[in-house]
Amino acid sequence: MTGRRLGRAGATAALVFTAGCFATRSDVRVLQGDILSFRTEAARADSARARQIASVVAALGTVADSARATSDRLSRFQGDTRGDLRSIQQQLLQIQELTGQSQRRLQELRADMEARAQQPVPSPVAPAPGDSAVVAPVQAAPGPNQLYQLAYDQLRRGSYSAARAGFEELLRLYPTSELAPDAQINIAEAYAAEGIAASADSAYAAVVSKYPRSMRAPTGLYKLALSMARQGRRADARTAMDRVVREYPTSDEADLAREWLRTNR
Amino acid sequence: MSLLRRCALACVVSLAAVAAVVAPARAQDTTVAGVRIGLVYAPGTRPGVLVLPVDGTAGDSIRAILERDFTYGDRINVITLEPSAIPQFGSGSARPNYPLFTRLGVAAILQVTPTSFGIQVTVHNAGKGVAERTKAFPLPSGTLSADWRLALHAVADEIEQWVTGVRGIAATRILYVSAGRVWQVDSDGANAIAITSSGSNAMSPVWHPKASHIAYMTMGATGQQVVIREIGGATRVLPTRSGLNMTPTFAPDGYTIVYAHGAESGTDLYATNAFGNEPARRITVGRGSDNTQPSFSPDGRRLAFTSGRSGHPEVYISDADGTNAELLTPYNFGDQSYRANPDWSPDGRLIAFEAQLAGRMQVMTIGLRDRVIKRHTSEGTNEQPSWAPDARHLVFTSNRGGTKQLWVLDVESNTVRQLTHAPAGARFGAWSPLLRAR
Repeated sequence: MTGRRLGRAGATAALVFTAGCFATRSDVRVLQGDILSFRTEAARADSARARQIASVVAALGTVADSARATSDRLSRFQGDTRGDLRSIQQQLLQIQELTGQSQRRLQELRADMEARAQQPVPSPVAPAPGDSAVVAPVQAAPGPNQLYQLAYDQLRRGSYSAARAGFEELLRLYPTSELAPDAQINIAEAYAAEGIAASADSAYAAVVSKYPRSMRAPTGLYKLALSMARQGRRADARTAMDRVVREYPTSDEADLAREWLRTNR
Repeated sequence: MSLLRRCALACVVSLAAVAAVVAPARAQDTTVAGVRIGLVYAPGTRPGVLVLPVDGTAGDSIRAILERDFTYGDRINVITLEPSAIPQFGSGSARPNYPLFTRLGVAAILQVTPTSFGIQVTVHNAGKGVAERTKAFPLPSGTLSADWRLALHAVADEIEQWVTGVRGIAATRILYVSAGRVWQVDSDGANAIAITSSGSNAMSPVWHPKASHIAYMTMGATGQQVVIREIGGATRVLPTRSGLNMTPTFAPDGYTIVYAHGAESGTDLYATNAFGNEPARRITVGRGSDNTQPSFSPDGRRLAFTSGRSGHPEVYISDADGTNAELLTPYNFGDQSYRANPDWSPDGRLIAFEAQLAGRMQVMTIGLRDRVIKRHTSEGTNEQPSWAPDARHLVFTSNRGGTKQLWVLDVESNTVRQLTHAPAGARFGAWSPLLRAR
C-alpha cells in the first residue's frame, strides 16, 4: 500500500515539475517567428557586409589596376627612356665613327687639292724660239696633307726609310701642322718596323714631349711602354703605363694600360 | 734645304710616282723572283696551254690533275683536245709542227714524261718554236696518295709560274668544319679527311703561317677553349680565362695568337704567345661591345676585326697592339645591317668580309688604299671568306646549292666553283699557305 501511495505521489510531483516545460503551440509559433526574423536579419546583415566587402574588394582591385597601370606606364617610360638613351648613345658613336671616316676622306681630298694646286700652270703665250728669258714654271713644295699621304703610303708599302724621310720633311716644312703628331708617331712606327728599338723609343717619347695635348700622346706613351716591356725593361714599362693612366685617364690607351698593370704585377 | 733632305724628299716623291704607275700592274702581277719562260702574260688574258698525253699507268691521272690545277688557277686557258685530235708532236728527231699548235690557240705545250723517280716536264713555246725549259720533279711513291697528289700540285704551281709569272695555288689545302669536326681538303676538292675526332664541337679553324699547326675553338662542358694542334702531332689547349674563347688567329710571326675572350663586360681581343704561358694582353677597347674575328695584315703590324662598338657589327682596323682603331667599312647613318668576318689578303691590298644585304650575307672586298668596296656574290647566302695565297681566290661558305658547302671564288672574274660536297655540310673555310710536298 505504502509503495502504491509513493508511486502516485511521485507521478503527481513529476507532473507538477514538468508542467512548466511544455510550451503551447502559439509559443512555438512565436518562437519560430522570432527565429525566422533573426535569420532574416542575419542574412540581411551578411548581405550588407558582403556588399561592403565586395565593394572594398572592387575598390582594391581598381586601385591595384591603377597601380599596375601606373607601374606599367612607369616601366614603359623607363624602358623608352633607356632605349632613347641607348639610341642616342649609338647615334653619337655612329656620328663619331662617321666623323672619323669623313676626316680621313677630308685629309685625302686636301692632299688631292694640294697636288692639283701644285701642278704648274702653262703660260698662255708661247715663248719665242730661243727666248732664254722665259723661265720654266717652278713646282711648289708639296703641302702637308700631300706629303703625309705620300709618306704614309710608303709606310704601308713597307718602304720604311722613305716613309721616315717623308714624315721628317713634313715636320721640317710644317712644324705646326695638325698632322705633325701623326707624322712623329709614324716616324717611330717606321723605326719599330725596321727593328730599331732605341730610335723608335726616342721617337715615341718625342710624341709625348712635343705634343702632350695631342690624341697621339697617349698612343705614343703606350707604345713606348710596350716597347720597353718587349726589351725586358719591366720597371720602365710600368712607369710609362702608370703615366698613361695618370695623365690620359679617359683614353683607350689608359684602359689598356690599366689591364696591363693588373696582369703584370 | 739641305742636300740630304732634298734627296730624301725626292726619294719619297719619286717612289710614290713610280708606285702610282706600277700599282695597277702589281694588282695583277705578284711575280716572285725566279725563272720565267718567254711567254708574255697580259693580265686579263690567259695563255693557251696544251698538256700532251702522258705515258705510264698514272699518265691520265697526271694529265687530268695538271689540267684541273691550271683551270682552277684562272690564269691559264687549258686547251682541251681529245688525244686523237692532238697533232703529232714530232717523232724521234722530227721537229714538232709548232705553227699548227699556234693556230689552235696554243701558246705553250707541256710535255710530261714519267721517270723512275717522278716526272720530267718540258715546256715548249709554240710561238717561238722552241723548248723553253725542262726540269725533273721527284714524286713520292704511292700513286694518287695524298703526298703524291700534293707533290704533283706543286709541279703544276711551278709550271704556272713559268708560264704566267705568278705561282699557282694548287699545292694548298683548306680547313673546314663539318658535323663538329675539323676537316681538310685539297684545293681541287680531293682528299677530304677529318683532322679532329667526332664530338670535338670545333669551330673557326685557322692555319699557322707555316702550316705546321692549326688552331680552332671547341665548345665543351667547361666553356669554350682555343686548341692548337700540330699537324700530325699533339694538341694543346691554350691557357685562357674561363668563359667564351673563340675565333683564334695566328700572327705572321708564327708565335703570337690573338683570340676573342668574352665576359660579362663584353668580348675583347687578347694576344698571347701561342706556345708559351705568358698572360694574355688585351688589345681592344670595346667598352662592353663584342670584338671578335681578328685577321692580321701580311706584315703583322695591323689587325682587322669585327666590332659592335658603334651599335652593330662593323669591320675595324687597328695597329696590332690595339691602338689607332678606326672604322673600315662605311655605313649610312641609322643603317642597322652589318658587316663582319674580315680576312686580310696576302698581298695586303684588300680585306674580304661578309655584308648583310637585303637580309642575306654576301661576300665583299674593300681596298685598303682607296676604300672602294666590291660585291662578289649574289646567289644565296655567302659568308666567311678566306683568302688563298695568291690574293686572287677566296673560299667561302654558301647555301646556293641547297646545303652549306665551301665554294671558291675568283675575285677578278667572279667565277665560282664548288669545293666540298660534305653530307653534313661544310662551314668556316680557311685556306692554307703554300704547302711543301713531304
